[in-house]
Amino acid sequence: MLSRREFFGAPALIGLWRKTDREITGAFVNDSFPVGHRLRDRAAFHVPAQKLRVPIVIVGGGMAGLNAAWRLDKRGFHDFVILEMERQAGGNSRWGENEISKFPWAAHYVPVPAKGESLGRELFEELGVFRDGKWDERALCFDPQERLFINGHWQEGIEPEDGASQRDRAQYRRFMEKIGEFRATGQFTVPMERGARLSPLDRMSMADWLAQQGFDSAPLRWYVNYACRDDYGALAKDTSAWAGVQYFASREPQEKGPLTWPEGNGWIAARLIEKLKPYLRPGTAVYRVARSGNRIRVLTEQTEYIADAVIWAAPTFLASYIVEGAPHADGFQYSPWLTANLTLDRIPGPKNDEPAWDNVIYDSPTLGYVNATHMGLATHIDRTVWTFYWSLAEHTPRDARRLLLAQDWNYWKEAILNDLARVHPDIRQCVAHMDIMRIGHAMARPSPGFLFSEERARWLKPAGNIFFANSDLSGFSIFEEAQYRGVEAAQRALLLEGRA
Amino acid sequence: MSIALFLSVFLIAACGLIYELIAGTLASYLLGDTVFQFSTIIGCYLFAMGIGSYLSRFLHRGLVARFVSIELMVGVIGGFSSSMLFLAFAYTEAFRLVLYAVVILVGTLVGLEIPLLMRILKERFQFRELVSHVLTFDYLGALGASLLFPILLVPKLGLVRSALVFGIFNVGVALWSTYLFREQIGRSHVLRAGSFVILALLGIGLVFADRISSAADNSLYADEVIFSRNTPYQRIVLTKWKDDLRLFLNSHLQFSSRDEYRYHEALVHPGLAALPGAHRVLVLGGGDGLAVREILKYPSVQNITLVDLDPEMTRLFSTHPVMSALNQHSLSNPRVHVINTDAFRWLDTNTEQYDFIVADFPDPTSYALGKLFTTTFYRLAAKHLASGGLIVVQSTSPLFARQSYWCIVESVRQAGLRVYPYHVYVPSFGEWGYVIGSFAPYEPPRQIPSGLRFLSTANVGELFVFPVDMQPVPAEPNRLNDQVLVRYYEQEWKDVAH
Repeated sequence: MLSRREFFGAPALIGLWRKTDREITGAFVNDSFPVGHRLRDRAAFHVPAQKLRVPIVIVGGGMAGLNAAWRLDKRGFHDFVILEMERQAGGNSRWGENEISKFPWAAHYVPVPAKGESLGRELFEELGVFRDGKWDERALCFDPQERLFINGHWQEGIEPEDGASQRDRAQYRRFMEKIGEFRATGQFTVPMERGARLSPLDRMSMADWLAQQGFDSAPLRWYVNYACRDDYGALAKDTSAWAGVQYFASREPQEKGPLTWPEGNGWIAARLIEKLKPYLRPGTAVYRVARSGNRIRVLTEQTEYIADAVIWAAPTFLASYIVEGAPHADGFQYSPWLTANLTLDRIPGPKNDEPAWDNVIYDSPTLGYVNATHMGLATHIDRTVWTFYWSLAEHTPRDARRLLLAQDWNYWKEAILNDLARVHPDIRQCVAHMDIMRIGHAMARPSPGFLFSEERARWLKPAGNIFFANSDLSGFSIFEEAQYRGVEAAQRALLLEGRA
Repeated sequence: MSIALFLSVFLIAACGLIYELIAGTLASYLLGDTVFQFSTIIGCYLFAMGIGSYLSRFLHRGLVARFVSIELMVGVIGGFSSSMLFLAFAYTEAFRLVLYAVVILVGTLVGLEIPLLMRILKERFQFRELVSHVLTFDYLGALGASLLFPILLVPKLGLVRSALVFGIFNVGVALWSTYLFREQIGRSHVLRAGSFVILALLGIGLVFADRISSAADNSLYADEVIFSRNTPYQRIVLTKWKDDLRLFLNSHLQFSSRDEYRYHEALVHPGLAALPGAHRVLVLGGGDGLAVREILKYPSVQNITLVDLDPEMTRLFSTHPVMSALNQHSLSNPRVHVINTDAFRWLDTNTEQYDFIVADFPDPTSYALGKLFTTTFYRLAAKHLASGGLIVVQSTSPLFARQSYWCIVESVRQAGLRVYPYHVYVPSFGEWGYVIGSFAPYEPPRQIPSGLRFLSTANVGELFVFPVDMQPVPAEPNRLNDQVLVRYYEQEWKDVAH
């Protein structure tokens, strides 16, 4: 029971004690729900007034679509268009900019492509990031790369070291040995299609696999869970163990990286968009794709395109709504995401605290924040932009999407500030503006059983002259998968055009 | 009469509260942890007042004389409380001991005041009225003091002067009481004389208040602080002892005027004297204008660009009489152009070429500063070198931070430059290192400008000889994505300090 004094006294005292929080401006931005829901609900669309004959149509201007276009253009094929629903192309690599810095809206790094990853190296060579066998130091993530807030302070790196017991460390070592064994099998490759072989790992969850192997160290489980939330938007218990292992086993850190820029992968997107501008039709939603003899009709509200081949680079689940005769895509699951860009006109305390590039809070449901000015050359930073990531992994995708739509901007703003206030008590005095982006189907989710499912195999089979290219066909949405799928689809379309 | 009496209650109550607030504020200012400091100080103070109230029962005779003596004691101890605390913090290890001793002493004396006063006045008023009035004015005084303290006293007078002023009030009340109660007091002239002595002491304290309040700063810097300012970028402190001027940035010594000529002559001349035709020079960092002073000794140099982050720093060294005398007004020279911006970004956005580049940055104590010692930085700087040009880099101590020094040398080498490491002994720093980077082979100059205080044509070659204890050790280059230097540096200077 509260006494009367406590009841009246406490709020008044707190009110006197705490500084008045400053007003924070901001809104939801880049919402794609309206068009998406019209497509889902098969709403009426305008019948296009003009018809255009274009040999190859790329649907979707994200990384898969842009890379497909990059390959077509590079092979000397220029008779194609990229139809992008949003006004800004780039998909998960979209970015923004304000007077302080550029900043990412989603994907924000690419691991340094290993020797065998020829596609990645080819693109980065063309963009000037890889030159004479050396990576541009300005694109390799500056020091300090990552830090973790644990036991009341920051430690370097995100593997929980602070407070780890002998037993925890022994389990880390054993876990890494296991991963090393998986790596040695050659089945965990980038892109995944090159090495992936049917494996019992896909039939269980990553959490089950950890339990089966006797990994019960709390910090190790946190770390693995964090990896799944970060790359797949799912908890370890909802992630295929094959995908969980892939996260760790697919790369051997050779170069201290990753590759990153203030605007994240927006840097890559911007350069591709610049190169491919003549082909790009942003703000153009495709609402129907139908066969007509040997040709394919691609309908938008402005134009009907008559194509020989279509590269479907938009998320695969959308094809089942739009492409005539396409099978269902029920096995494809997508994690919804929330990202926020916070404009800080003061750097939060403590004094002399140097943020890392990626800043993670142990035991937080969120993924932490990335500091946009980290990749700048300036030695003195007095304003910055933080990109805050939250994959809502503890809900089912459907519930998380409902929650995203149900709650207003203020709710998310408060939730984000409360999370950050745990590590930066003065955060509310530093944030001037916060834009929040809700993505309903942000990342493919490799649920147990999906990677080696018949459904995925069915979608991978070439379907006449429609080529599916989205990274979700790999079961997870990362840059390298999108690039690989996009380029593969482009090659096949060229073959069809007799231009291989 | 009665109003006057209660007014003195008001005053002594205000004084009592002020001393308590001063102790709390000072403790949280010097030690941090405001909640802890205020809680414990208020607690001790109130408890000490209780002791005072209890002790008052043992005083029997000559109450007025006792009261006056107590006021005088409060006046002295309270009045000098903040001075004592500042000096205790600056010069002793026993700050907390002095703090709580002062709080308990003042608290006890203040606790004696009201009970004694009530007993003195009890003949003149009804008990009911007396209690009501005394306590009313007591609380009113507390209110007045607590409002006055943050609004007027701290911002306008400061802690040292506020305490002294309220000490004078206490003595004032004492003096006044000797007149008010002259018939109840035996040796009023002795007390009055004492009052005037204490009044004089407090007055002298007021005159020297500024010196006392800067004492805490002085103790940190050993010498007298003649200038100190917090800019958005750093804390600039200049100290002076006799003819020795010292500049500190964020408490790191930048130079001592007694031997800075060794540092700056060695920074500039081995490189610039080897470039007879040099006319464009770039100085990065070095907002003190001392490197520029050396560069101006070359008539061939037509244009010097100085890029320093902090406008306050270059303004100070252009306009302050003592500091601009030290750099011989180099920053006001028409050949010199000062640009206040981030050096790395400025280099990145600019395509000018220079014959000689001086990188004179603070040591890599953070990842932010460490960026200015990376392969990327040197590669970028090298793009601004005219053909045959040279860059010289201040590179920390090859003796105290040996691996850090050779790490910087390696970083310059990795940027594609030939490296020529050298060092000099600067008494206030110890052994200090530099490295010259160039595309073409470099040889130490045959001719050094005459009239230098340290360097001469005869000894310049010796700088390039490294004794055994400073010779190269293996070190990785410092890269933006792997700042080994910051880690080497932290480790090595930690080892020196312990």
